[in-house]
Amino acid sequence: MNDKELVRVAGRVQRALEQLRKSRYMRCAAQLSLFAGAWQDLVRQSHRLVVAVSRDWFAAAERSCKSAGRQLDEIPFLASNLQSLLDRRHREVPGLSVIADELRALQQEFDEVEFNHQQKALCVTTESITLEDISLGRFQVVLHLDDLNQMYQRSPYRILALEPNPAANDSAITHPHVSNEVLCEGEGGAAIRAALEEGRLADFFSMVRSILTTYNPDSPYVPLADWDGTPCSECGYLMDRENVGYCSECGDAICDQCDRVCIDCGELLCSHCARECGICEQPLCRTCAKRRCAHCESICCQSCLEDGLCPNCKEESEDQDDDTDNAEGTPEETDQAQDAGQSQPVPVG
Amino acid sequence: MRLLYINNSGGGFADYLDVTDGTTVSQFFKDKMPHERPEDYLIRVNRQPVPRDYVLQANDRVTITPTKIEGAA
Repeated sequence: MNDKELVRVAGRVQRALEQLRKSRYMRCAAQLSLFAGAWQDLVRQSHRLVVAVSRDWFAAAERSCKSAGRQLDEIPFLASNLQSLLDRRHREVPGLSVIADELRALQQEFDEVEFNHQQKALCVTTESITLEDISLGRFQVVLHLDDLNQMYQRSPYRILALEPNPAANDSAITHPHVSNEVLCEGEGGAAIRAALEEGRLADFFSMVRSILTTYNPDSPYVPLADWDGTPCSECGYLMDRENVGYCSECGDAICDQCDRVCIDCGELLCSHCARECGICEQPLCRTCAKRRCAHCESICCQSCLEDGLCPNCKEESEDQDDDTDNAEGTPEETDQAQDAGQSQPVPVG
Repeated sequence: MRLLYINNSGGGFADYLDVTDGTTVSQFFKDKMPHERPEDYLIRVNRQPVPRDYVLQANDRVTITPTKIEGAA
């Protein structure tokens, strides 16, 4: 920006800061009006109560008391909101020369500073940022002057990734602390707001850069450890931390499409480690696959095993039992045979 | 002598302070942020970088901005 443009941009920034100041007063007025409305309702209920009591209208008096009670519940909340708005420090809108100095300082601090007339935005580009060996590229911080007066409702600036290397599982996350072009300022929030309110542009952009060049492992959108995702060992699908599963036997990462779950104990398994029940073909882990049919020794899940036998062996065993029974006959037949034997003569010689 | 001190740590505040004549920027930092390391901060006087032995002047504007600020999600 040359000097002429710089002064022009400073003028735009100044107007945006005046709008911000105006919006703060408008919010105060709106909150004050809410509070005054609640107070007036309370006064109205007080009059109604006096009239009701003087005429012995106790039901009406009770209604007035209840309404007043409801109003009283709301008043502390409204008062606290109003108080926090009124307590906000008065910020002078800086003069044109001060803002121009800020813009000059900005140009010294950053290599690329430009004003986008179409978007009415001050754009500052950071150097290429690498966090924990993951290159995230350069970022452009775009401060929309028209959105400055909305800064208490939404962020007036965007973070654009110029050479995006987003998280494997979410292309909207271009930085551990940026989602959908919005920076989550964390501990920098209050200082950033103060800098914007006071028109300290160089401080504002420097602090945003400080957040972008710092990784907070305790609260990222996507941890850098999972930035490139974890590939499923079978199909290669990239999973984020919340969706990744690990085989309980070999420890390989496995997605929910490829995993198998032991039908008896519920352990997660990959296809290489999973055994299967010889009868129902359901997956089994190594421990549960030790359960075998006592007769044929085929692997059997708990539900297919009966009296220690697989269904086939169980059936065979039952058939054998039947045959034995048939061979031995029923107790009645045996008794009859014995009786017949006793009555018939035994051949001798 | 009086100077404007802007601290961008924490809540971020700006205030006028009195300091003794001859105070260097390095002494000022040590005085204001005794437990911090100067290399973790961007220290500017009148929006310009200065050497650590720069002697502060009346009406100087001193800005201290952390170079590491933890964002969130």
